[in-house]
Amino acid sequence: MVFNRSLLARAALGPAAGAVLMVFMASGAIPAYQMYSVGLAAVYAVVVLSVGLLAGWSGIWSVGHPAFFAIGAYFAAYGSGHDWPLEAVILGAVATGAALGAFLGYAGARFSVLYIALLTLAFTMVTLELINRWSSVTGGDQGVPVLQLRSGLGLGTVLGGSTEAQYLAVGAAAVVLALAVPAAASGLRMRLVAAKSHPLAARTIGIAPEAQSSLSFAVSGACTCFAGVLLGLLTGFVSPDPFSLNFGISLIAACVLGGVGTILGAVAGGIYLTWNPSLSSAVGLPQPVVQGIVLIAVLLFLPGGVVPFLAKPARTLLRRVPRRPHAETPADPSPNQAPAPTGGPVLLNLEHVSVSYGGLKALEDASLTLRQNEILAVIGPNGAGKTTLLNALSGLTGNGRVSGTADFAGRPLLKARATARRRMGIGRTFQHAEVFSELTVAENVLCTRRRITPRRRAEVARLLHSVGLADVADRRPAELPFGLQKRLDLARAMAEEPQLLVLDEPFGGLDAGERALLAGHIRRLHADGTAVVVIDHVLDDLFSVAHRVLAFDFGRTIGEGTPDTVLQDPEVRSSYLGSVEGRTRPPEHTGGRSMVRLHGVGHAYGGVVALRDVDLDVRQGVVLGIAGANGAGKSTLAGILHGSLAPTHGNRETAGALRTSLAPEGRALFKTLSLRENLEVAAYAAGITGAPLRARLEETMQWLPPRLRDRMSAPAGGLSGGEQQMLAIARALIVSPDILIVDEPALGLAPALVDEVYDRLSGLARDGLTVVLLEQLLSRALSVCHEVAVLHEGVVAVHGRPGDPAFEALAEAAYFNGGPTLAPGTAATAQTSQVN
Amino acid sequence: MSQFLLVLVSGVASGAVYGLMGLGLVIIYRATDVVNFAMASLATLGLYVALSLHDRGVATLLGVLAAVVITVTAGLVVREAVIRPLGQGQLFSALVVTMGVSLIAESVAGSIWGNQPKSFPNLIDGSVRWSGAALPVQSLLTIAVAAVAMALVGYLFTRTTLGSAMRAAAESADTARVVGLSSQRLARISWALGLGLAALSACLYAPRSGLVPTALVAPLFRAFAGIFLGGLTSMYGAVVGGLTIGVLDNMAANYISASFRDTFVFSFTVLVLLIRPQGMFGTRTFQRV
Repeated sequence: MVFNRSLLARAALGPAAGAVLMVFMASGAIPAYQMYSVGLAAVYAVVVLSVGLLAGWSGIWSVGHPAFFAIGAYFAAYGSGHDWPLEAVILGAVATGAALGAFLGYAGARFSVLYIALLTLAFTMVTLELINRWSSVTGGDQGVPVLQLRSGLGLGTVLGGSTEAQYLAVGAAAVVLALAVPAAASGLRMRLVAAKSHPLAARTIGIAPEAQSSLSFAVSGACTCFAGVLLGLLTGFVSPDPFSLNFGISLIAACVLGGVGTILGAVAGGIYLTWNPSLSSAVGLPQPVVQGIVLIAVLLFLPGGVVPFLAKPARTLLRRVPRRPHAETPADPSPNQAPAPTGGPVLLNLEHVSVSYGGLKALEDASLTLRQNEILAVIGPNGAGKTTLLNALSGLTGNGRVSGTADFAGRPLLKARATARRRMGIGRTFQHAEVFSELTVAENVLCTRRRITPRRRAEVARLLHSVGLADVADRRPAELPFGLQKRLDLARAMAEEPQLLVLDEPFGGLDAGERALLAGHIRRLHADGTAVVVIDHVLDDLFSVAHRVLAFDFGRTIGEGTPDTVLQDPEVRSSYLGSVEGRTRPPEHTGGRSMVRLHGVGHAYGGVVALRDVDLDVRQGVVLGIAGANGAGKSTLAGILHGSLAPTHGNRETAGALRTSLAPEGRALFKTLSLRENLEVAAYAAGITGAPLRARLEETMQWLPPRLRDRMSAPAGGLSGGEQQMLAIARALIVSPDILIVDEPALGLAPALVDEVYDRLSGLARDGLTVVLLEQLLSRALSVCHEVAVLHEGVVAVHGRPGDPAFEALAEAAYFNGGPTLAPGTAATAQTSQVN
Repeated sequence: MSQFLLVLVSGVASGAVYGLMGLGLVIIYRATDVVNFAMASLATLGLYVALSLHDRGVATLLGVLAAVVITVTAGLVVREAVIRPLGQGQLFSALVVTMGVSLIAESVAGSIWGNQPKSFPNLIDGSVRWSGAALPVQSLLTIAVAAVAMALVGYLFTRTTLGSAMRAAAESADTARVVGLSSQRLARISWALGLGLAALSACLYAPRSGLVPTALVAPLFRAFAGIFLGGLTSMYGAVVGGLTIGVLDNMAANYISASFRDTFVFSFTVLVLLIRPQGMFGTRTFQRV
């Protein structure tokens, strides 16, 4: 950790305040009857600090601390009864607390927040029961006195309940608080918070969450046991009464009140705990009622706690010039062309790697080699197994079964733990920029190192500058737009100069300028000798940086080539565009009255724009296809057309009271419910009950294929993908919708099943149902729809009728490149020749 | 043998109470992501009202009914007033808020009805002799009532459309929204049901333990242990877990040591969870990036 002047000054605040307090105590300015309370507040502050920092830094909420507190106090009592030196008592209590805490932390890391609550609750219950029954040592409910503890180093004797004990408590608390200040600035805290905010991302930078929580619980337990010793000395008498479970709740209340994870907040919490009884008698309410009201009020109105609430305006005053985050452009211009790959040695070699989850093969028999200094792009439609490939490389396959072999830099890769792969030299980024939300931008990168030296800080500052984040280094990621969060994700992955960088959809969600910038970064990485594996759907950007392209579908490799040649491979091309043979196009149909009309509709999630300025008219009886690559904004548009998602811009008009229903992407069935229950629930939600429900159910069942009709009582989770899709459409149909919206019905289905689903959809359209079909494959959309709109990066690029060869060419260009760049003249015609 | 039978029946009766309370906790947790720590103290309020009615000569059955009504009403008020404003997905805050409610409710009960233990009337007196053991009818009734209540809950959730809707909303709130289910209405129904079960289990438990403001803390913690053992989101798990805890608890108290009941029950639970973190009926979750 770095000791700079301001840190030292803040660390000195604790002892300074303690010294001032002691002077007051000695001068008699504090009345005698309050002296004990001051000492108690100091002891409580240490306990609240232990609970609060454990919660704030590691996300572990413990109700087990009354037990630690009790253990410390009984150590003091036993030591006093057996003439142990003071140092031995403290050492014994601290060691016991650390050991028990390490166990609880390790066990707790396997569980969620709630399990830890039960675990620590059990710990308190068991400890309290032992204390009550083990009367030979603890005196049972009679308690035991703490007469005196003599220092083994000859520093004097502390009598139980004496004034010296009060001074000792204040002094010790001051030291503990002072130690907490540098700890808060250390890499340790950053790594703890990183492991807490995003355990999975933490693993990819070499932080093991189990070890972190074990360590922090050990420290917390040790501190609380130490506070227990102080309490024993302060009161001069130890009985089980103060260590109830209600005390555990009060501790949590004190933490939340002061501000979780802040040091000053702990002091405030300690003071609150001490004078809560006085406060209660002052307002004339029972103590638990006051505690309960304070607890609820703070959580409802000041969830951050009192101290951060007060500190915020103070900080705003100090920071006179408000800085706005803005995207600065990195200093050095990057080369525009990807240099030819060097014929370097093989860095990564994958042979027949498969990953399966239960019965589902997410990745099948993947083989690839990557040379040092090579940029490999992996492409393929949604669900092709691309992300699974990256997860296999970075060790995040969870409980999936991984087979095959992989060598990285001459060492076996697949057996290595996720945390070890960072050390082997693999860094990765995430599709949604999984940054640590509770750390600042600089800390996000700093936490990749265990120890933080001034040199490391300088290195990180340089790195942040090179990606254009230097100005926002002290900001939290949540204050930044998505594009900057993705740069931070990249900077974190680059921090230790890995040999291999794995990028998961780095271009997704970025605008054109940001994408150009990112391409520059990737080229620069390459120039520095880093190998890169990158997956994305934004093909033009991807191809501008890659040396080689690998195409995936259904978990298998289907083609390989250079960026210039890979799309000429018919199999690769059809995996995107589809190849639909022998399907008869529906007769021309211009549609009846307008059912749903969108005007200038746009939508953004947080800072990420998904849709821009979309005008669309859905007419009665028409099958409207909306084609676009993954991430083009299809599902957002589906939600807005459906009415379940309110657009952030523009408006949606419907023709009177209209019933729309949606078969969402990925089916979204209730898997634990039976087929019949899935249908019934949808009807119930629409207000159909009783006899009409039974009639609708009967009618909808007739629509389902016979093999599903026979299994109406089986859980939906047991159906195959195609069958689930059929059920999802049936669930949308049971409410007799005016418009049926189907989002990516073909996703992940084998070709024969896709045909069956589409035949059934076409049948519905023939019967006159208005259908909106969102489809990844352009050719499929063209083959079944009356009208097709191509969506590219949130914008309707072209809109027209299939069957017009000029439109088909335009649509294909728009699908890949976003605009009809080839022939602007015909584009205008196509745009205007749409349905009138 | 007769001793063993007696302990077993008593264990099953306790387990039925824990299971019923656990069932209430799980129903509320699945529907609203709230671990309702205040359930026991709210049910205690109901018990005190039932006892007051009993002391005025009202039939015990009506008293039980009143307890259920009071508990459900108090619970719904708590949810609307302090849980709903927290917003969705506030797992920890919601738990701590219910802790606060619990502190207040216990204190209020103490200041109205006093902290002295009171005896709560048996719903039925007497005992039946069976293979040499005198089994209290109250225990048998407890088992029977709990069984009927569990069967009714089972019927509701598996045989009715409302039950299907509640299971659907519990499985995926997002999908429920797409389908158009009203999540607030289902949440209120779940809270009412969960608290009703808690009040019923409290009325079955109180005759044996007597009534103090904190009387239901011990069964609540055992119900917690039971639902964690069962897997937290499984209703079968809550019942089986509760029964396991009840039988273990009574067996340990009779055959090992009455002084270390908590130690035994909680150590067992933690050990099982260390070996199988997802509980007996829970499913392991896996986070995908």
